[in-house]
Amino acid sequence: MRTFAKPAAVALAALLTLTACGGGGEAAPAAQGPQPLRMTIWTSNEAHLKLFDEIAAEYRKTRPDVGEIKFDPLPFDNYTTTLTTQIAGGNAPDLAWILENSAPDFVSSGALVPLDDTLREAEGYEFDDLTPSAVKLWQAEGRLYAYPFSTSPFGVFVNTDLLEKAGQKTPAEMIEDGTWTWEKVAAQNAAVAAETGKAGMVVRDFDYKGWDNLSTVWGGWGAQAWSEDGRTCGFDSPEMVEAMTFLHKSIFTDKAFPGPGTTADFFAGDAAMTVTQISRASLLQDAKFGWDLVPLPAGPKGEYSVIGQAGLGVFKQSANAELAADFLAFFTNPGNSAKLAAYFPPPRASQLTADTLAKSNPLLKPGQLQEVVIGGIEKGVVKPNHTGQAELSQTVRAALDPLWRPGADVKAVLGGVCAKIQPMLGA
Amino acid sequence: MRREIPVRLKTLLYGVLCVLCVPFVFPTWWMVTSSLKPVSEIFAFPPRPLPVDWDLSAYGQVFRLQPFAGQYLNSLYIALVVTAGTMAVAAMAGYAFARIRFPGQNVLFVVVLLGLLIPSEVTIVPLFQMFHGLGLTDTHWPLILVPILGAPGVLATFIMRQFFVSLPGELEEAARVDGLGRFGTFYRVALPLARPALGAVAIFTFLHSWNLYLEPIVYLSSPEKFTLPQALTQFVDAYGGPMWNVQLAAASMTALPVLVVFVLAQRQFVEGLAHTGLKG
Amino acid sequence: MTGRADARPLTGGRPARSGDRAADRAAESTGAGGRAPGPQRAHRFSGGGGEQVFWTMRRRDNLVGYLLVTPQLLGSLLFVLLPLGLVLWYSLHEWNVLAGTFEFVGGENYDRLLADANLREVLGGTALFSVGLVVLNLGLALVLAILLNQRLRGTTFFRTVFFSPVVVSLVAWTIVWRFLLQDDGGLNGLLAVAGAEGPNWLRGEGTAMLSVIVVQVLKNVGLNMVLFLAALQGVPSQLYEAAELDGAGAWTRFLRITVPLISPTILLTSIITVVGSLQVFAQIAVLTQGGPGMSTTVLVYYLYQQAFQFHHFGYGATLSVLLFVIVALLTIVQWRMRRRWVFNET
Repeated sequence: MRTFAKPAAVALAALLTLTACGGGGEAAPAAQGPQPLRMTIWTSNEAHLKLFDEIAAEYRKTRPDVGEIKFDPLPFDNYTTTLTTQIAGGNAPDLAWILENSAPDFVSSGALVPLDDTLREAEGYEFDDLTPSAVKLWQAEGRLYAYPFSTSPFGVFVNTDLLEKAGQKTPAEMIEDGTWTWEKVAAQNAAVAAETGKAGMVVRDFDYKGWDNLSTVWGGWGAQAWSEDGRTCGFDSPEMVEAMTFLHKSIFTDKAFPGPGTTADFFAGDAAMTVTQISRASLLQDAKFGWDLVPLPAGPKGEYSVIGQAGLGVFKQSANAELAADFLAFFTNPGNSAKLAAYFPPPRASQLTADTLAKSNPLLKPGQLQEVVIGGIEKGVVKPNHTGQAELSQTVRAALDPLWRPGADVKAVLGGVCAKIQPMLGA
Repeated sequence: MRREIPVRLKTLLYGVLCVLCVPFVFPTWWMVTSSLKPVSEIFAFPPRPLPVDWDLSAYGQVFRLQPFAGQYLNSLYIALVVTAGTMAVAAMAGYAFARIRFPGQNVLFVVVLLGLLIPSEVTIVPLFQMFHGLGLTDTHWPLILVPILGAPGVLATFIMRQFFVSLPGELEEAARVDGLGRFGTFYRVALPLARPALGAVAIFTFLHSWNLYLEPIVYLSSPEKFTLPQALTQFVDAYGGPMWNVQLAAASMTALPVLVVFVLAQRQFVEGLAHTGLKG
Repeated sequence: MTGRADARPLTGGRPARSGDRAADRAAESTGAGGRAPGPQRAHRFSGGGGEQVFWTMRRRDNLVGYLLVTPQLLGSLLFVLLPLGLVLWYSLHEWNVLAGTFEFVGGENYDRLLADANLREVLGGTALFSVGLVVLNLGLALVLAILLNQRLRGTTFFRTVFFSPVVVSLVAWTIVWRFLLQDDGGLNGLLAVAGAEGPNWLRGEGTAMLSVIVVQVLKNVGLNMVLFLAALQGVPSQLYEAAELDGAGAWTRFLRITVPLISPTILLTSIITVVGSLQVFAQIAVLTQGGPGMSTTVLVYYLYQQAFQFHHFGYGATLSVLLFVIVALLTIVQWRMRRRWVFNET
């Protein structure tokens, strides 16, 4: 946004060429020649980048007015912060990946270009193939602002070798006799930790900071971070207190989960189980241990599933917004969507079949795909998201810190969380 | 110095010094040895002082994952340019503030000193916009111009001024007798005397530029333009988890050469700092 | 001029390029004391001698002065003052980056500053951090300098060791310490070997702050140590000898001789360390991210969160102004106090 430039321009008349504007973006006049495009992403996985470059090359064959298409990986840690800083500095990319937890902020900000028309009009796009539940988060007032190119359910990867070593039943067996519940899972992990000295269950990316990943656990108790409409704090609800009490006990008393400040990487063979998105399966390429992928355990309130999403949007600020939107349509058309499905489960109903997915997810068996992926996407609840996400998330994180100690008073800490965030939720 | 020290006290002193050394040496030791261990061994418990499985692969990976050699060169040339530039600018300004009486100099000096008080986080956003407006983002220009002319250079000017103030008043007279103008006095008489202070400035400035972290992150987006501190944090796996052994290998390669240079030239380092005139 | 031993900058004594030399010499030899002598009065558009006397020595001197100062001054204007002004300007606005709105809200951000419940904790943490850092840093630097000032062999080796972290890259140093301070990291491993159980350094409210302080101190203490060492070596040993003859004990000698004589250095390192402490950012970002809770969220980190993470750029700018004011005040206070604390300020 160039609004801030007015005073600078006055002061630096000769130097700055930015012009003030009052809130509606003005795209710079299009320059001549092929236009480059830049898309910010958070993966630097070589296989992913290769695929993207292939798709881009394909696109450029028929579009000589498109210059280089650059896929710009930003570190995942601070992805949203870095992206926003770029925007603040007037250096917004043309397209960007968006995390589900910042979706409400971006979608409601007016910074993104509405995509409906472009997508509907793209040839062979089959816009209606997109599952309503998948696109819900990315719409505002009936218009689609970002395309949910990846809907990735959470599942549990299990190191069957470690389980065997500790004399535990495998998940497959437990699912069969209906004992695949959090209570039993925690007990198993405690046993493994005790017997083998390796860690038990790792909620990946949580690390006692990324609390939104805990929704994969508390979902089993029917707890929520906040109400559906986002107005009421859910941390002090009885369900949440129960869920967190269970978690606290499992960490500090039973040692089923590794404690704060301890590092254990499932994919390196150091943990018995891990809750993470199925896209991580590629990390098991060279795994030296036997493993399985199963759905999340059931909680006292029964079975449930949690999904994470990633959206792809176009910025109004971009000088080539129209071109970028067109590329987005190409990038996510049925053909390319199927290719991307190798790593990013698509929102297209027709492609959410075990067979299609199996073709591009060679490491996962059809049974796993059906159970975890398809079932997950259909029934799944998206990870916590809200407007003002960054500040809200940090406040919750700071308020939850006292919980991660032995002997913490769960109820009091959770009450404290709500006290801090309720004022922010009202908005 | 003092008279001879009794043996008991000497042993005690040596003992204390050795113990104090540990927190200074241990991290560097740990950094180097961990870079030679496979990842799983790094967090092994109990920790081993030396790798069990010597694994040099991390070093290879450093170069494969990033254009590390280029990044090294970036950091190096930027630091050298900034050091040379700062030495020039600071010497000139320091001399003028110290030895020439011109109207408004005190006010101007205070204005310049303001730069010492402002953290870079405060000015980074407006500076970014300025450079973006000039089309100079994703280039090294902001990393060169701002340190030389802006806030980081002010400490150098301050040091130079302190030094020049401490020179005897007869200096200019003697120069005048030799027929030198003011500028000549500066260039031919004062400057050569300022070697120790310039040495200190060079050291401070080089280290500061070498270690810049926030600025490269904000201004640069192409990996081949990155500088070392920035590159260090980029060694993450596909999902953002740090690749510990690779990061430490890169960190070792960043730290060790400077350390070696320091060990070899440390007398000059230390003497340069000692002569900044800061003591008086 | 010749009689003065202090370092007053000389004025008016340099030879002019044009034909004023004789006049100069005349003025000097009468001991005019460096003031712009009578005959030197500048004539604009001179008549006498057909030469332009606009450029008197004084003016020429001034010109050189301005020229020499120009690069630094221009840089300060462009890269320090202008951004500062812009930041002040931003602080008067509500700037939502994503929505692209930039509304003038006058003093609203400042009201918010005063009402900010978090601010008390942040300022408290900042004070604790700065005080802890300065005390530990200067104290340790002085101790190390004294230890190395003894007649021992191998002080050069130790000096190198203590100075080495200064030259290691900050990010590298912090990353290594992040490893070491993990609950299952190197430090606790070392302690375990010695039979002790180390706490979870980066996760305990008190230990997190301590860890950040210690990591920063170890990184920079070598610099202050070298400065103190130089200062200590500048203290004439006769003073100590004389004091001993008078029966003064080691502690008295330290307090009465050493401290006063190195007080200029103490003052300067104190100013630099205090200002530096208020700018410590990378270490906190890497080690604790301001946590646990907000115990290590110092002002500059809080500013970063508000501006860069929460996208409240206007409020972040307001915090920047606050930070600047605090730094300026502390520096002015310390500088003023120098008359009281520093011995023999020239």
